Amino acid sequence: MEATQTIPFQSTQFITDSQHPTCIRCGLCLATCPTYRATLRETDAPRGRIAMIRALAEGTLEARKEFSERYYDCLLCAACANICPSGVPLEEILQTARDDMYHHKLTPEMLEQLGQTIAQHHNISGEDNANRTLWADNMSQEPSGLQLCETAEVVYFIGCVGSFFPRSYSLPQSMTELMDKAELDYAVLGGEEWCCGYPLLINGQLDLAGELIRHNLEKVKALQAKKVVFTCPSCLHIWSHVYPEAAGGGELSFELLHATELLADLIDEGRFKFRSMPRRVTYHDPCDLGRKENIFDAPRRVLQAIPGLELVEMRDNRENSHCCGGGGNLETFNAALSQMVSDQRLAQAQEVEAQVIASACQQCERTLASAARRNRVRIRVMDVAELLLRALDEG
Amino acid sequence: MLSENILNELRAIVGDEHLLTSPEALVCYSYDGTFHESLPEAVISPASTEEVSAILRVCNRERVPVIPRGMASGLAAATVPLDGGLILNLVRPNRVLEIDTDNMMATVEAGIITADFQAEVEKLGLFYPPDPSSVRHSTIAGNVACNAGGPRCLKYGITGDYVMALKVVLADGRIMDVGGKAIKNVTGYDLVSLFVGSEGTLGVITEVTVRLIALPEAKRTAQAVFPRLGDAAQAINAVLRGGIVPATLELMDETAINSVEDFMHLGLPRDAEAILIIETDGDESDAVRDMEVVARICREGGASEVRVAQTPEGSDELWQARRNISGSLGRKRPNKLGEDISVPRSAIPEMIARIKQIAANRALPIVIFGHAGDGNLHPNILFDKNDPEEWERVQAAVGDLFRAAVEVGGTLSGEHGVGTLKKPYLEMALGPTPINVMRALRQALDPRGILNPGKIFD
Repeated sequence: MEATQTIPFQSTQFITDSQHPTCIRCGLCLATCPTYRATLRETDAPRGRIAMIRALAEGTLEARKEFSERYYDCLLCAACANICPSGVPLEEILQTARDDMYHHKLTPEMLEQLGQTIAQHHNISGEDNANRTLWADNMSQEPSGLQLCETAEVVYFIGCVGSFFPRSYSLPQSMTELMDKAELDYAVLGGEEWCCGYPLLINGQLDLAGELIRHNLEKVKALQAKKVVFTCPSCLHIWSHVYPEAAGGGELSFELLHATELLADLIDEGRFKFRSMPRRVTYHDPCDLGRKENIFDAPRRVLQAIPGLELVEMRDNRENSHCCGGGGNLETFNAALSQMVSDQRLAQAQEVEAQVIASACQQCERTLASAARRNRVRIRVMDVAELLLRALDEG
Repeated sequence: MLSENILNELRAIVGDEHLLTSPEALVCYSYDGTFHESLPEAVISPASTEEVSAILRVCNRERVPVIPRGMASGLAAATVPLDGGLILNLVRPNRVLEIDTDNMMATVEAGIITADFQAEVEKLGLFYPPDPSSVRHSTIAGNVACNAGGPRCLKYGITGDYVMALKVVLADGRIMDVGGKAIKNVTGYDLVSLFVGSEGTLGVITEVTVRLIALPEAKRTAQAVFPRLGDAAQAINAVLRGGIVPATLELMDETAINSVEDFMHLGLPRDAEAILIIETDGDESDAVRDMEVVARICREGGASEVRVAQTPEGSDELWQARRNISGSLGRKRPNKLGEDISVPRSAIPEMIARIKQIAANRALPIVIFGHAGDGNLHPNILFDKNDPEEWERVQAAVGDLFRAAVEVGGTLSGEHGVGTLKKPYLEMALGPTPINVMRALRQALDPRGILNPGKIFD
């Protein structure tokens, strides 16, 4: 435990620094925290996580494996930060706690491995990065964005899950097909797209992400793109929060937007013709897109443009959305807990008798679809882009 | 005190994963909604009444202190394990066992979150009115054990007014059912009432049967701004004398208004000395007519502005200010001590004047808000616990507040309970004989003194 004596715990500063609002232990966060609601244990609640950091600062707890695990059992969904009436900077505290764990060599082994895989292979799955476009192989027509080009107005940054997980292939397939139908000048980076660094960020290993970030920035700049569009909210989140500083501070020379924002604009411009799709659909706000990027309306605008589609809201929606269970690398660290959280969210969709859960994040879609299969519930889980493509009038 | 043998016996009852002893877990169960903290020796989370009974048999035999706890949102340090012992965490059994629509009653397990239960009955057009501010993060058994109140209690009464029956585990592990579904019931002592508000000192509540009423069809919400606090205090009584019982009648003073405004930016009038938030309900015509009368009385009583919300969203907006007071105070000073003195309605203006005087005498910011309509006020003292001199003044001010409440014919606590925080003042409020009677009752039910020892009185 030499390291603990030399490197200070940054997260404890939030507790000891009088500038930060104090947790008054009201307990309001317990009602909204998905992991507390799953386990009903105060050790899995934001109030408990704050209390443990305070105890560390006061010297009554020591940093050890059992301590650090409490912070990897967190989804980093920020529901607590959203509801805290005292304004305790929970999002920063919980993220900084993970940075601390990494610097004190307390990152769980499987997450440490994930970090190494990304640094070595430039993607989360450890495959040859040249395989990033396998998803396009069985499409009847090759997307125009895959063709080599010198410049492109829009770069579509697909992200590792859409690129490497066959179950998520239909997302880049749908998105490129939609952009081709709208006749956009866009490109994908293929093997030159590297992991955005988000999994490293939430592992507390942002130190390792520098090369990835510089590489991605260079490739986008080389194409002189005006916009970078993301189907993955987590990629969007790190691009908008960390990349500007890596690019030398200030604003990026191109606009960042989520696929649903681009699609909503294309609909407004009248680029698509629709057929009726009489379905009862609920929209699941991804934490990284909603609470963290403040994008709530665009995906709903897309859904509401589809004739016949009935949009219903789940009990926890928009700012109060309930995490799918896939946040914070929890699925890797504690699959059982992640599944309990997914099951809770699925139950909310059942409560409003939705036939389809639409979302705007491949990770949410994976976890919720698994929950539906596991519970033998007949609810389809689809991305807003996939749903939109199916609602187009081909005639 | 908790030997490895005892821990193993307890593990065998609930299963390994439901007995926590790690230092991390003990920290997480060392506090409630106050600033008090003290580490327990272990945390046990039973799944059923039978498991609670088995746990208590062991603890009674071994004289292990047991501190029953729900979600620990309490404001009296009633669930802080002052002398170690075993935290009995009652959140796992949380089902609705029955909603009896014929009798309009429901039976639930201890750990259900009150707001979740309310949502269930409201689906059937039924209504469980008690609404403590912690309604989303407190359990029904916790509400019963503290006899929780809330804004709506002005019209609809407090938790205890709804409890029909309880399943209770006694200190020695015996399981007892008290009360029932018969509305009129004078067969023997009213043991239900004995356990309501007993703060975990007489037995462990594991099931609760409450009565329900019909969900009111409509409501109207108004915000009345008063340039002078005294006028607001008089208006409260004028409304009630006017023959109207609003569902809620909430007061916030100048400091409360400004601290909410500092971080919410709702556009509240910073120069007003008080705001009243008033809600009327019933069928559509009742709600509207009552609100017209309320608005007129407020205007005649010195309100400079009365805004009546026309939509549910508008009503939510008016409530936002009141709901965010407690949290916003945490941004002003590191610590707050929220009291909940309760006085006769007629004494509200006098009590408010006395609180202002105490704040001035002790040179402490005291924020006043609360359920003014029923005389239950929440003077909150803002301070920094790390300043010993200030902390002394806070303690003196608390004594002043309690003395003032008793002098005007009121009492220490309307809804938070005594717990640890108000224990030193109990005798002043009650006198020695009632405390001796309580002590005898406690001794009869828990002769070994294992249930929440050191709380309410010694």
